Amino acid sequence: MNSYSSSDVAMKRSADRGPTLHGPAHAPNGTWCLAWSGNGGQQHSLLIDRRGLAANLLLALGLMASSLAYLSLGSLTVAPWELIDVLAGGGDPVASFMVQELRLPRLAIACLTGAAFALSGCLMQTLARNRLATPGIIGIDNGATAFAVASVVGIGVVIAPPAMALAGAATATALTFGLVGGGGARGYRFIVAGIGVGAVFGAITQLLLARVSIDVANSAYPWTVGTLNARPSNAVAALALGLPLGLLAALGLSRALAVMRFSESVAKGLGQPVNRRRHQALILAVILTALAVAVAGPVGMVGLIGPEIARYLSSSRSVPIVASALAGALVMVLSDLVGRTLFTPIEVPVGIVTSVVGAPYLLWILLRTSRSLA
Amino acid sequence: MPEPATDMVLLKAAGTPPRLLAKALFLAGLLLLACLASLLFGAGDVGPVRALTWLLGGGDDEAHFVISTLRAPRALIGLTVGMALGVSGALLQAVARNPLAEPGLLGVSAGSAFAVALILVMGASAATLRVGVAQIGALVGCLCVLGVARLRGVDGDPIRLVLAGAAFTGLLGALTSLLLLYDQRAADEIRFWVVGSLSGRRLDDLVAIAPGLLVAGVITLLIARPLASLALGERVATGLGHQPKLIRLLVIFSVALLVGSATAVAGPIAFVGLVVPYAARALAGPDIRRTLWLCLLLGPLMVITADIISRLLVAPSEMPLGVLTALCGAPVLVAVVRARRLPSL
Repeated sequence: MNSYSSSDVAMKRSADRGPTLHGPAHAPNGTWCLAWSGNGGQQHSLLIDRRGLAANLLLALGLMASSLAYLSLGSLTVAPWELIDVLAGGGDPVASFMVQELRLPRLAIACLTGAAFALSGCLMQTLARNRLATPGIIGIDNGATAFAVASVVGIGVVIAPPAMALAGAATATALTFGLVGGGGARGYRFIVAGIGVGAVFGAITQLLLARVSIDVANSAYPWTVGTLNARPSNAVAALALGLPLGLLAALGLSRALAVMRFSESVAKGLGQPVNRRRHQALILAVILTALAVAVAGPVGMVGLIGPEIARYLSSSRSVPIVASALAGALVMVLSDLVGRTLFTPIEVPVGIVTSVVGAPYLLWILLRTSRSLA
Repeated sequence: MPEPATDMVLLKAAGTPPRLLAKALFLAGLLLLACLASLLFGAGDVGPVRALTWLLGGGDDEAHFVISTLRAPRALIGLTVGMALGVSGALLQAVARNPLAEPGLLGVSAGSAFAVALILVMGASAATLRVGVAQIGALVGCLCVLGVARLRGVDGDPIRLVLAGAAFTGLLGALTSLLLLYDQRAADEIRFWVVGSLSGRRLDDLVAIAPGLLVAGVITLLIARPLASLALGERVATGLGHQPKLIRLLVIFSVALLVGSATAVAGPIAFVGLVVPYAARALAGPDIRRTLWLCLLLGPLMVITADIISRLLVAPSEMPLGVLTALCGAPVLVAVVRARRLPSL
């Protein structure tokens, strides 16, 4: 194992002098090596994975294009060239209201929640070494939802939904890991235990909704399917603050995660405190899921599809942290766009769109892979 | 120490019959008590004392109305639905040779619910139509999951089969929500049905599902013996003169009839088909001929008890029955999965 292969942006000491861009002769295949000397005569170099960079750029371009479409399409179509005018503050007042007050905040929320779901999905998949171990599938979403609904319908606990969602996500995670026992996050057994835990929390959510009057139940309905409609502003603020921090923390962990994809003994041999890193990644994933659920409810499958797209586009030598976040945001924006426009005047909650798209994909993964994976 | 092979367990069980009759009688007593409690307790004004007075010959008009038109049909429907779901779980697990194969988990109930939603959105409204449609949906759902899994060679892996079923259920659930979102009238018509509940059902529903249940019962009686031999392996079953393929098809057909009927009346109720055969196997051993009889008693016991609790827990309102079955079924799922070696069937 060499240390180059650990991350798409990896720092390493190098004997090269001066800020130079090396070709394939010095850097490993498919990377650029950016080297410079810092203060105190220290030599640094930066290894840039070309394919990872291309994937990130491609996803960013896709996200920009779909954002433009998101802003311009809907019950009132605003042509793309008018958009610039409207965004600058001018233009038709109706279009201006539509874009600035309704679509722009919602677009931002879609990007934030999608990125958070996909990032936490990527972390969970990597630390469990299983593509199916996403927070949505192993019941963390449902736990966060149950607790958040409890705070909305008021069972005497007056804490903000994000905090309650966090408590719920942590409880569900602890239950899943605790119940499966010593085996840890290995194999499908863990996932089925997670499905069981998720079913319990789903039932608790239903139970909470059955206790209250129909009006309150209707107001809490979005929690059960996942939608971007009219979200609480304090939860959005928490997510907007938490996502960049989470992204940075994930980037910090990315090198350890890349090594941990190999067997445990290899990771230990390469000097990673495996258990501590695993706990850190797990806590990060739980926090990100909880923040996203507090905003959008349990939007299924984004945590599965986002990292899958990112992994398909990126090279296999690294854990695609940034690409996952971008792909998640892309999936979320496109799904909500479809949900808003396909069946007008009915608005389909984004959670239903992602389920309809994601579930066949999940089936395909399950039925395609060979026996040896189990 | 390695566990003895399945056929050894079977032979042992056949050699030393457990005190099955005593257990069955005990369960029948419990079931009677549950039915009685189902008549006595409810969300409304008629308490146990008034209900008991009416049952003993006295009592007032309100008690008469509540018990004879609301609670008694409900208990009967709970009895039927419980039997159908319990037996279908046992059958499906025997044919898939998988302790986790449960109609709700494998997407059979979801297929049935989706079919009903689809036909309602397409304009149908008659309650009688619902049963046949639900049964066809269950059959298609069953064939989809089991057939595709067998085709792809993952049917030997219990856990992956359950995952595929969960994905299939999620897909159908989302599609059902989509349909209901699209058509408000259909949504109003089946809003309470789609979450699984026994409340507000009439005896007419029971009459409508009776033929399907009878056919399924006869098929089950006929294939119990061949199914028990199938548990010893396909070659043993063939050697004993049975046709494994035919048995499987018949089982899937009767499971679809049972689950379709139960779903048509009570909506999709998960986990009954997991818990009941699990408990029955614990009581009677792995022989399908014995577990089926116990399932007939345990299924209604679970459904009726859950129904009573669902009435009392949030009185005066009610909560869906599926919530309670999930609350007690999911721990069993985890327990089955936790077992170091999955028990093979």
